[in-house]
Amino acid sequence: MSKSAIERLQTGIAYGFLSILLLLVLFPFYWMTITSFKNEDQMRSLVSMFWPSPAVLENYYQLLTKTDFTIWFRNSAVVAVSSTLLATAIGTIGAYALARLRFLGRAFLSSTVLITYLVPPAILFIPLYAQIRTLGLSDSLAGLIATYPSFTVPFVTWLLMGYFESIPVELEEAAMIDGATRFRAFRVIILPLAAPGLLAAGLYAFTQAWNEFLYALVFITDVKQRTLPVGISGFITGDVYGWGYLMAGAVLTTLPVILVYIYLQKYMVEGLTAGGVKG
Amino acid sequence: MATPAARLRTDVALPEQRGGAVGLKRMLGSDYRLGFIFVSPMVVLVLALVAYPFCYAIYLSMTQKFVGMPPVFVGLENYIRLASDGFFQRAVVNSFVFTFASVVGKLGLGMLMALVLTSQIRFRSLFTGLLLIPWVAPTVVSALNFLWIYDGSLGVLNYLLVKVFRILPQGVGWLSEPGTAMASVIFVNIWRGFPFFGISFLAGMKSIPAEMYEAASVDGANVLQRFRHVTLPGIRNILIIVILLSTIWTFNDFAIVYILTKGGPGGATQVLPVFAYEMAFGAQRLGEAIAVALYMLPGLAFVIILLARYMRRGQAR
Repeated sequence: MSKSAIERLQTGIAYGFLSILLLLVLFPFYWMTITSFKNEDQMRSLVSMFWPSPAVLENYYQLLTKTDFTIWFRNSAVVAVSSTLLATAIGTIGAYALARLRFLGRAFLSSTVLITYLVPPAILFIPLYAQIRTLGLSDSLAGLIATYPSFTVPFVTWLLMGYFESIPVELEEAAMIDGATRFRAFRVIILPLAAPGLLAAGLYAFTQAWNEFLYALVFITDVKQRTLPVGISGFITGDVYGWGYLMAGAVLTTLPVILVYIYLQKYMVEGLTAGGVKG
Repeated sequence: MATPAARLRTDVALPEQRGGAVGLKRMLGSDYRLGFIFVSPMVVLVLALVAYPFCYAIYLSMTQKFVGMPPVFVGLENYIRLASDGFFQRAVVNSFVFTFASVVGKLGLGMLMALVLTSQIRFRSLFTGLLLIPWVAPTVVSALNFLWIYDGSLGVLNYLLVKVFRILPQGVGWLSEPGTAMASVIFVNIWRGFPFFGISFLAGMKSIPAEMYEAASVDGANVLQRFRHVTLPGIRNILIIVILLSTIWTFNDFAIVYILTKGGPGGATQVLPVFAYEMAFGAQRLGEAIAVALYMLPGLAFVIILLARYMRRGQAR
């Protein structure tokens, strides 16, 4: 075989595997979406499996008017936005200090942040539950807003430490030679330069908080205080599953994350490794 | 220790320093004031939300504690009782099976994804973006999607296998039969996690200089040899980090198993995090439930420390 034939064969094989992977990855989302537009008769009779016929909006109507979905959506938004702002603020200054400032305990703290990021919620959820109860924060969104930083702060800090380190230190030094204090150099020079990193870190934290399940399941028992993941998964506890409106709920729960993701995608390919592997 | 540059920075930062301040600075570091202020919220948070609960967990695991009642100290009784508990032993075995099979599966599919995305294909960034979606989508949504796909009577998987491709004579209760439940749950975990492996390997492969491949080609290496002797050594660090990270995440995964099977049928998919949850909030035995979680600790601590060393080395580079 000639060299170009081998290359063509390789490319052909690559496209073959790519198609399989795409089918595997996208089918569940395709299935979720078309299910949300099917009516119950169609679902039960197994006709026109792969396209809704007729396409109806009754699942969405039922979801938005007959369930607590809108309340859960609001709860999720409140919890995710508040805990993200909190985590980004704490993480930004913490990361700057760990990346740039010289003080006793810096190396120890850097290790602690990383180890904290790696400690899984499965170890912490029961004692945190006891703590939340003692503080009277169970069954309230405040309990979630207060505890979500336990995983978002280490993550944001670790991510931003790398980001701050990539900004040339000479910029701050120049500002300080001109008489600026360290804090002023941070606020005026570094923060604006780090803005894209802050935004990316914040949006990552947002999706983590939006997707969180275990703490929300454990700390909240009042139906009206649930967040989306716990709320929609509660639809399956009955014997008769309303698959149509459950999938409608799944679509609407996924949408905000996908929108964030489309915006973030350019950071993702390089950034996710920074976010996941490096930080 | 202070380099000339660092000393310069100190002098510039605080030109007004006097004798006492210099002594403090030598002890606490040149930027100690701003440094302490900036890290204090984080320190408070870590102490309150991780360190304290962690210590409290160790104490609670040595008590008999029911929700709403004060704990009674019982020493290591919970741990000893669990060791001979058949359900616990089964959950331990299941957790290892679940984690091992998931990580191996993610490794394979992730490698495939990275290799596909580094070959000569069009619209590479679009496809990369699409293949990452399972990793960004809420885990709960994905688990619910698969619950519906696996459904015994109306699920599309049975429809495809029985009616469309005629591979099976009749539908399978994927999640309700002990023989298929574990594999079905593992598949969902692989599906959700492999894009992270893929994107990490992709980043690693991109950082390997093209000359290395050219040199290998000139020396007569074929595709497999180039993969074995150029690609794999080039992504070795990332490979180790991703495997360790995923081992921690998978071992502690709660949502997928909880939503798909709740550990059933008959404990066939019971894993430690779900077992701990049910013991705490089903049986209301908090002390024992924490002991379940803490049994994972020695192994987990070992992996975390190992991983932290690799990750710090990665960041230092």
